[in-house]
Amino acid sequence: MSEARAILSVKKKSDNQVNACTQNTASRQPQNPVTKPESSLSPEKDPVKKQATNTDEQKKTSKHQTAMQLDEGKFNAFIGSVPGLDVNDPKQFPDAAYNPKDYFQGYVQSALMVAEAKKQVMRLNSGWKPLIIFPHNHEIWLDADDKQLRAFAGVGMNKISGPGMTLTPEESIAASVQESLEKFHDQDAFLWKLAAWTSKGRYPGALDINRPVFLKHWPNFTRLVVTPHALRISALLMASPRTLPEIAEVLKIKPQYVFVFISSAYALGLIGQAKREADEIVQPSVVKKTEQQGLLSRIIGKLRANKS
Amino acid sequence: MSHYKIIFTGPVGAGKTTAIESISDIAPIKTDASASDMTKTKKSSTTVAMDYGIMNLAGGEKIHLYGTPGQERFDFMWDILTTGGIGLILLLDNTRADPFQDMKFFLDSFQKFIAETNVAIGVTQMDLSNKPTINDYHSQLRAMGIKPPVFSVDARVKNDVSLLVQSLLYSLDPGIEA
Repeated sequence: MSEARAILSVKKKSDNQVNACTQNTASRQPQNPVTKPESSLSPEKDPVKKQATNTDEQKKTSKHQTAMQLDEGKFNAFIGSVPGLDVNDPKQFPDAAYNPKDYFQGYVQSALMVAEAKKQVMRLNSGWKPLIIFPHNHEIWLDADDKQLRAFAGVGMNKISGPGMTLTPEESIAASVQESLEKFHDQDAFLWKLAAWTSKGRYPGALDINRPVFLKHWPNFTRLVVTPHALRISALLMASPRTLPEIAEVLKIKPQYVFVFISSAYALGLIGQAKREADEIVQPSVVKKTEQQGLLSRIIGKLRANKS
Repeated sequence: MSHYKIIFTGPVGAGKTTAIESISDIAPIKTDASASDMTKTKKSSTTVAMDYGIMNLAGGEKIHLYGTPGQERFDFMWDILTTGGIGLILLLDNTRADPFQDMKFFLDSFQKFIAETNVAIGVTQMDLSNKPTINDYHSQLRAMGIKPPVFSVDARVKNDVSLLVQSLLYSLDPGIEA
């Protein structure tokens, strides 16, 4: 058995232990989920707790670090912009689209799909830093910091460098990878920020800007880069589908904040677009202003001021 | 002055007391007692009445943060605590054997309050147990016909708790601005 398979085998065994424990518990007498019968069990034998916890998981600090919240002032410095393009000018909206396949993002997304389909640890060789995909745990390993990734995300993959990309099964996991647990990223969090840096405030060209989009569910914001107004955009889209310009108009925000959010959410498969004519004629609901809007606004202000 | 409050609920050990502590402007008032039942296998003391914290807003307004006791035998307090509440924060411990069962229990128990306001769900201890995933929670919730925010949360981290509460408030009204 290869080293990689051995590692996966160990990890799977660990998962199975947890599952087995869950099943054992589930197979007992039905219990109230909150109050449990009195017992003198030690914590190790506590039936409401899983018996196995993953100590390596705690060392994957990148996966579990709290979100970075960007405000408008930091947007351009952190996300970037495309020279000569004003994405906030409606006349330039047709030019504000980008194709993820022209960038590293597209290759990463394709590689993730292949790794997931094959259930195989894969290495994406780009001529830059090797990127290793662990589909079983929904993880990516990359020996690069955010600054390096941000710079590479914006580089167009032309016809010369594109074919140089290769995706190969990773038969053995190097010790340097196993020992650098802090370089493991959650797949979604990684793809989210990669898409944001690739977008630079543009939107994915596969979306028709004049058709409403919907959000399948809330992104896991505590582990993502929270771009300006991302929470508000999510709440709005969870209420009803809207076109991208409409979102900006309703929330009174610059289109670039909508576009960057949509780019990241679309990369994660969280955005859908009405395909049928019948979907389009459904008028979006009017945003109801709550009586407590002033109060809620003050609470948000307080929470954001105390976000340290 | 009106009595504005946000309610934190969830099973024993999910991090309600810690979450309130993370965003409260005062040292939270805890009504802990030495655990004498099953709870003692998880921690030495537990909340028997409620936890209480305050967020002081500009202009002198106060937001009261209430944490419900996790044990069902105190559920008579839940209705009292939620009366007039702005919304519900549900915290779930991912290391428990069946967090989905916990989730369904609390969503059912607070169904009326949630229907009148809204709920945001924080999943704690994901660094100790990464399964079920956040997407698994969304699948369960989809089957229940609701789509609330569900975030990984470390209750000790103010930013995590802050984002969770913000998502609750924006769910109530996406038009609000900070």
